[in-house]
Amino acid sequence: MTASSDASSVAPRSGPSAPVGPPPRRSGRPYGEWLLAAGLLLPNLVLLVIFTYRPLVDNFRLSFTDWNIAAPVAHYIGFENYKTWWHDPNSHEVLRNTLIFTVCAVGISMVLGLALAILLDQKLRGRNLVRSAIFAPFVISGAAVGIAFQFVFDPNFGMLRDLFHRIGIQVPDFYQRPGWALVMVTTTYVWKNLGYTFVIYLAALQGRRADLDEAAEIDGASAWRRFHKVLLPQLRPTTFFLSITVLLNSVQVFDIINVETRGGPQGYGTTTLVYQVYRETFVNSKAGYGATIATIMFVILLIITVIQVRVMDRGMHRD
Amino acid sequence: MSGLTRRGFLGAAGGAVAATGLAACAGTGSDSSGKGGKGGGESNTIDFWSNHPGTSTATEKKIIAEFEKKYPDLKVKLTDAGKDYEEVGQKFNAALAGGNLPDVIVASDVTWFNFALNNRFTDIDALFKKEGLSTDDYVEGLYGDYEYQGKHYAIPYARSTVLFYYNKDAFKKAGLPDRSPKSWDEFTQWAPKLQAAMGGGKHALILDDGADYLDWTFQSIAWSYGGGYSKGWKTTFSDPKTIKAATVLSDWGKKGWVKTSADSASDFGAGLGGVLLESTGDLGGFKELPFELGVGFVPAPGGVKCCPTGGAGLAIPEGLSAKRKANAAKFLEFLTNAQSTVTFTQATGYMPVRKSALKLPAEVAYLKKNPNFKVAVDQLPKTRPQDNARVFVPGGGATIGQALDKIIAGANVESTMKGLDKTITKAYESQVKPKLKA
Repeated sequence: MTASSDASSVAPRSGPSAPVGPPPRRSGRPYGEWLLAAGLLLPNLVLLVIFTYRPLVDNFRLSFTDWNIAAPVAHYIGFENYKTWWHDPNSHEVLRNTLIFTVCAVGISMVLGLALAILLDQKLRGRNLVRSAIFAPFVISGAAVGIAFQFVFDPNFGMLRDLFHRIGIQVPDFYQRPGWALVMVTTTYVWKNLGYTFVIYLAALQGRRADLDEAAEIDGASAWRRFHKVLLPQLRPTTFFLSITVLLNSVQVFDIINVETRGGPQGYGTTTLVYQVYRETFVNSKAGYGATIATIMFVILLIITVIQVRVMDRGMHRD
Repeated sequence: MSGLTRRGFLGAAGGAVAATGLAACAGTGSDSSGKGGKGGGESNTIDFWSNHPGTSTATEKKIIAEFEKKYPDLKVKLTDAGKDYEEVGQKFNAALAGGNLPDVIVASDVTWFNFALNNRFTDIDALFKKEGLSTDDYVEGLYGDYEYQGKHYAIPYARSTVLFYYNKDAFKKAGLPDRSPKSWDEFTQWAPKLQAAMGGGKHALILDDGADYLDWTFQSIAWSYGGGYSKGWKTTFSDPKTIKAATVLSDWGKKGWVKTSADSASDFGAGLGGVLLESTGDLGGFKELPFELGVGFVPAPGGVKCCPTGGAGLAIPEGLSAKRKANAAKFLEFLTNAQSTVTFTQATGYMPVRKSALKLPAEVAYLKKNPNFKVAVDQLPKTRPQDNARVFVPGGGATIGQALDKIIAGANVESTMKGLDKTITKAYESQVKPKLKA
């Protein structure tokens, strides 16, 4: 084999381009790869279109109708449902409930989840048992949890009544006072879903760079500073992921509210947007109006998610 | 994740609007024929959707077994369709879109009309006539509750009235007579003594809360003051007499005499209240109480009819095949014949829906032995049909219940009742009135 033949059989060492084989497409990937990707994605895309996007579009369309759920036909009424919702004082109460419930549910479950994850990331006796106990409620159905918590909050027979009675305080009527009912529903929701934030944060803690923490400790950083300046930035992607998923899940809570309060007391005491959708559609038979509220909820969530993505994205780039 | 440009967003939004425009040509997803995808089969299995009113699962199974014995070629599938009437209605709504229609369904006083109005239930008169069955033996008032434009869309099944239940021990301790009061004003005079006799943490009166059936039971209080929810299709929440009744309720709330509950019968049974205003259907559950139970008519001053009927009937969906409808009619008739009525009412406390049932020796003997059950039967002539605003306007009952909850909690009575006038009228005008004209 000669030197020249060697040179012709290998890629050149320099030069802007020296293609081997067929020229690639402008995007730099051959058709085969595109076809493979499309083939792999297609089944999921078809399912998404059928079961997610089509109902979404259909819901949007129905929001402009007066559809009674039992009726075979619906009539187009323009923006009438949207106007009704906007001017209905109950809608403001529902929005307020949704906001309070979501902020509390997201905030408390993330702070508590992180605190418990940090605690149980330490080498403690029996920590696996405690980890399992914290995660277990997450896999129990919301309806079952709602029923179980009636034995905690019932003002006549509940566990809290006993506890309050022992210290000489009258237990609030969680079922008849809207504010306390919202506390009950939020507490139940956080208890049930705490395991989710806990286990995700725990996984993130176990994958973090321990050397950074050690370096900070050697440099004399305080525990708070190590937490604030070293640990939290490392957990930022996890916090971002959790903030979106917990928010979306908490806005969609239905089972616990339905079992514990049915959206009451006093009308809309614990009614959130998603429960209002159910109530208008199935209780009041106003499916067109229910579709309107679902659309409004979708738009609100879309805006919040886009803002979250933007804020988190900026934070990442700053880091 | 950061790739959402303004142009991209506008493009996506434009796409969504275009898709919406295209989709606007489609239907509601609900079969306009009323048949549903699988509604028209020839099955010999009768699918019976029930919430088992009055904890009647075992009783319904017993009657079904007797039916299958009489008609060996027919089978009945008893489906748990929800924990209450409203859930059964919701499941049926889903079935209308999905197509798996039942053959027979429990339809409450509040849910049947919307289905009849939208042609989802079969005309019982025509079907029974075609199958050679008679409706003459049903108690007229109870059968008449299901009439719309000269046709009946259900037959009475688990029918009830409001009863005045009281704790005789507490009444005795409070020095009150052993009877229900003649008016709610008289009850108001009794309430402080009864409240004192009940003791701390307990109440003179227990009512359903607004998410349950407060709108039903309060109707009798409103009627007793000459008020009501509506006259015909015109709402009367702002009528001074209705306002008066609501003010009485508000005062009871302010003084702490009344407690509302999602499970008022259980609370009363546990001794937490001196009086309970509830359905006759709860009578069957009051078997081992820690006190002696008293049962009386609801207060009706001046002999005015103040007791609403309630409960549920049985309906057959429109759109089933002729064969399935015929089978369903046979089952309906059997489930409510005189003997089945006796079996069902004695197990639950609901009222006999057949006139002939009251004459059967077993029923006569039972009523003699159980005078509390007889009170419900004796009260039947004093009942009257419910106001349209509650039972015929979609969501009417729930909306009224929510307002009453607020009134008990201290909301302004007049503005709350005026709000109800507006809300119910709007619901009537948008959902009922156009179809009545058609």
